[in-house]
Amino acid sequence: MTLREPGSALREGALASAPLLVGIVPWGVVAGVAMVSAGLTQAQAVAMSLLVFAGSAQLAVLPLLIAKAPLWLMCATALVVNLRYVIYSAVLAPHFEHLSRPWRALLSYITVDGTFALFVGKYRPEDAKPHKHWFFLGGSLVMWAGWQISSCVGIFAGALIPPSWSLEFAATLALIAVLVPLLFDRAVVCGALAAGAVALAAAKWPLNLGLLAAIAAGVAVGLAVARLGAPRAGRG
Amino acid sequence: MLDEAWFAWTLIAGMGLVAFFTRAVFVLPGSHLRLPATAERVLRYAPAAALMAIVVPDLALVHGTLSISIENPRLVAGLVAFALAAGTRSILATIVGGMTVLLLVRSLAG
Repeated sequence: MTLREPGSALREGALASAPLLVGIVPWGVVAGVAMVSAGLTQAQAVAMSLLVFAGSAQLAVLPLLIAKAPLWLMCATALVVNLRYVIYSAVLAPHFEHLSRPWRALLSYITVDGTFALFVGKYRPEDAKPHKHWFFLGGSLVMWAGWQISSCVGIFAGALIPPSWSLEFAATLALIAVLVPLLFDRAVVCGALAAGAVALAAAKWPLNLGLLAAIAAGVAVGLAVARLGAPRAGRG
Repeated sequence: MLDEAWFAWTLIAGMGLVAFFTRAVFVLPGSHLRLPATAERVLRYAPAAALMAIVVPDLALVHGTLSISIENPRLVAGLVAFALAAGTRSILATIVGGMTVLLLVRSLAG
């Protein structure tokens, strides 16, 4: 199939991503509520939604903000939670290298998990489809708009919800929903369990440094389990 | 108060830079940069480890003390949420199911 016009590729991408809104909208509302209940003003919460546009990083940093952790640790946490995007960026780079710099900046800013997965499933890097970036843009714009609108609903309507509902716990539940699909093999599961155990043991460390120790332990255990399992199980 | 505002805006700017950097690191230079195999392996394990390290203390610690008990509403709700997420792969089902269990266990525990 050839995509003759940018408009049809844009529309096709938007339609393909639209079903993913079911997942992103409740998450956006929860993130909006959580940002305000963590002490951000409404203007700051809107700015965070627009500038950061990374739900799991935003939700991961909020407990640290409440605990008054240092700035560098919160940025480091956002970096680690966002590391999956480095992989996406490496995969996407050959698809977009012929585009202008503003295009590449826009497509970078707007990359999200769901649309990335659809795009990679549909196109090979060597495909010379001239309008495939329009498909990516269409899908990403749908997700971007869904995220921003639902975040604003949470930011501005969240204050009406009584604290006794413990809606802040919904942020933890949303992180669980994001975490589970990442647990795709035994090494990742072992690494994650080790990280959870170290996080518990190191919960009282100053400056929330236990979090970094937990991540380091998780990566080390994951690598070790993968190395032990590799000779028998083979690759992939 | 002014200090707090300055802190929050700096955090937002810093996180914005981090989020853009991770997404743009290979796309924006536009060259044939390749990800080293070692880096790729570390990148596989770090995000799941970070999320688990954030979630587990939130479920198992009550006022800073370990509480492994069916009377800990957050722990029970969290475990149900893990099962729901694995079974349905739906963020909505995970959040709604987890919140329902949280409120149920809390009301039963009195």
